Amino acid sequence: MHKATRHLSRLFAALALAGAALHAAAAEPIRIALAGPVTGPVAQYGDMQFIGAKLAIERINQAGGVNGRLLEGTVYDDACDPKQAVAVANKIVNDGIAFVVGHLCSSSTQPAADIYEDEGVLMITPAATSPQITAQGHRLIFRTIGLDSLQGPTAGNFITERIKPGRVAVLHDKQQYGEGIASAVRKTLRDKGVEVALYEGINAGDKDFSTMIAKLKQAGVDFVYYGGYHPELGLLLRQSAEKGLKVRFMGPEGVGNKELSAIAGGAAEGLLITLPRAFDQAPENQPLVEAFKAKNQDPSGPFVFPAYAAVQLIAQGIGKAGSDDPEAVAEALRDNSFDTVTGTLAFDARGDLKDFGFEVYEWHRDATKTPVE
Amino acid sequence: MPDLYHYLQQLVNGLTVGSTYALIAIGYTMVYGIIGMINFAHGEVYMIASYVAFIVIAGLSMLGLDQLPLLMAGAFAASIVVASAYGYSIERIAYRPLRGGNRLIPLISAIGMSIFLQNEVLLSQGSRDKAIPSLLPGNLVIGESAMHGVVISWIQMLIFAVTLLVMLGLHLFISRSRLGRACRACAEDLKMAGLLGIDTHRIIALTFVIGAALAAVAAVLLGLQYGVINPQQGFLAGIKAFTAAVLGGIGSIPGAMLGGLLLGVAEAFGADLFGDPYKDVVAFGLLILVLLFRPTGILGRPEVEKV
Repeated sequence: MHKATRHLSRLFAALALAGAALHAAAAEPIRIALAGPVTGPVAQYGDMQFIGAKLAIERINQAGGVNGRLLEGTVYDDACDPKQAVAVANKIVNDGIAFVVGHLCSSSTQPAADIYEDEGVLMITPAATSPQITAQGHRLIFRTIGLDSLQGPTAGNFITERIKPGRVAVLHDKQQYGEGIASAVRKTLRDKGVEVALYEGINAGDKDFSTMIAKLKQAGVDFVYYGGYHPELGLLLRQSAEKGLKVRFMGPEGVGNKELSAIAGGAAEGLLITLPRAFDQAPENQPLVEAFKAKNQDPSGPFVFPAYAAVQLIAQGIGKAGSDDPEAVAEALRDNSFDTVTGTLAFDARGDLKDFGFEVYEWHRDATKTPVE
Repeated sequence: MPDLYHYLQQLVNGLTVGSTYALIAIGYTMVYGIIGMINFAHGEVYMIASYVAFIVIAGLSMLGLDQLPLLMAGAFAASIVVASAYGYSIERIAYRPLRGGNRLIPLISAIGMSIFLQNEVLLSQGSRDKAIPSLLPGNLVIGESAMHGVVISWIQMLIFAVTLLVMLGLHLFISRSRLGRACRACAEDLKMAGLLGIDTHRIIALTFVIGAALAAVAAVLLGLQYGVINPQQGFLAGIKAFTAAVLGGIGSIPGAMLGGLLLGVAEAFGADLFGDPYKDVVAFGLLILVLLFRPTGILGRPEVEKV
């Protein structure tokens, strides 16, 4: 018994030594923090971001890494809570990580971005769409997704040109993301001469919208735009159907989620959603789609490919800059254009994409979507 | 101009929400009435009951047994049994061993219990929202059309009917049965009731169980109506129900019913007049007003100094 233990402990000691030697031989990996919600009501979106970024890291490593160094991703959970995002950002800085792919919700990305900028960490968000995040002249903050200010006009134009509704209501969840898009939609509608009959906030996390539904009936609207996320819209759709409110709903990409159909059931049929181009439908991305499917992951979420592209940008930026200094990489990202899975990307001075298109989709009860021609 | 239908509709909406507040509020008020303490883990019992209902509905549907009456009966039975067990255990673990000590101590242990239960569900069920399919679609229209009239969904009717029945049953139980009489005796004077041969431990446990069972009824009803449950929902539901209990006069069962309905209606009209974001402002404003003029709540008895 004793002898066996001694043998075993020797074996472990040898293994540990060997491991240390191997570790020293390979170059230090380039560490990337993947920050987003692992828990909380919008954790599904965090998943999209994480699977995209993780596959990119895996593929880049298989191809030999960047400048002979491998990438290493670590997930940090901000639960989409601004307070927790600040704690996470400080932890990432303390952990000595210089690159971040995240965060997801605009309200948690904003305070985190300020910390990264001050501490010299480069951040690329694949999901946060509030224009304010890049409006402060940060040097190290980028994003691989379009802005609310782009998504709003897309929705607004679609409503005025294609739907031509009688009376429109615009609702939002009073959060940075939802209210931002809702106000952009209202502005577009106004500019086109469509007056919004009802513009109002609801409480995020609320479950009873019967009062709001009665108000919508009272206002006599036949079209409702909702700025926010799927838990509230799902309930709004479900309760509208139960209460016989016959209007068409439209929402931003933050509502485009399987959960929406799970909550709303049949009431989700026919919902209009503005979504980023369906990157998983592009012919050149089919090998990647297969790779996701082989892992039993769903590549159709709106943030999967932007997150993949964010990792590609960090890798290619480091390659171009020839160093892993975030400042140098940021400069390389601004000065060049890059081939990624979401197309050829180039940034403007603020760190936003020069070109990013949203398209209108029709959502179905089984959580599938079809583009509206 | 808003017409009569609109206001009637808001009244119906308010009463539906309010009747579920009332169901949960009874748990707070009964426990307070007897031991003079707030059961802070009550909201979590409500939350656990909705998970039980979800698991039963999902499980039965998966087995192909998806007839509506069966699903409902299964959900009600299972969540009432499980919630009652939790109610009983909370009393045994967090209250009984500390009885007779400082009143603050069981308060802390109840808060600890609440945190424990919430995390138990978080860990076993995950933090994400779970969706319960809508089992009772459809509605009843009073008036010209769904867009211009009062619409009461079947599930709202079910909520009214079940709440009414449960309240009636509870009233009969408290006022007519032997155990009910014992409950009233304990509420009047716990020590004296004990001296007269009532097993006060048993009565206290019983109030925890009744409260938990009513919370389970509310959990199934609200689960069916909204279809979304998560481990955090017990907190807000608990706060609202507690407010309803205080509004009506904590310790008084009719007070909890009245407080719940009043709170629901105030929320509905508050949201209608000032916008959804002011819903809670109106509800809690009402609470402050009532407490300013009637510190013991609407139906609460003034605290009598016991000698």
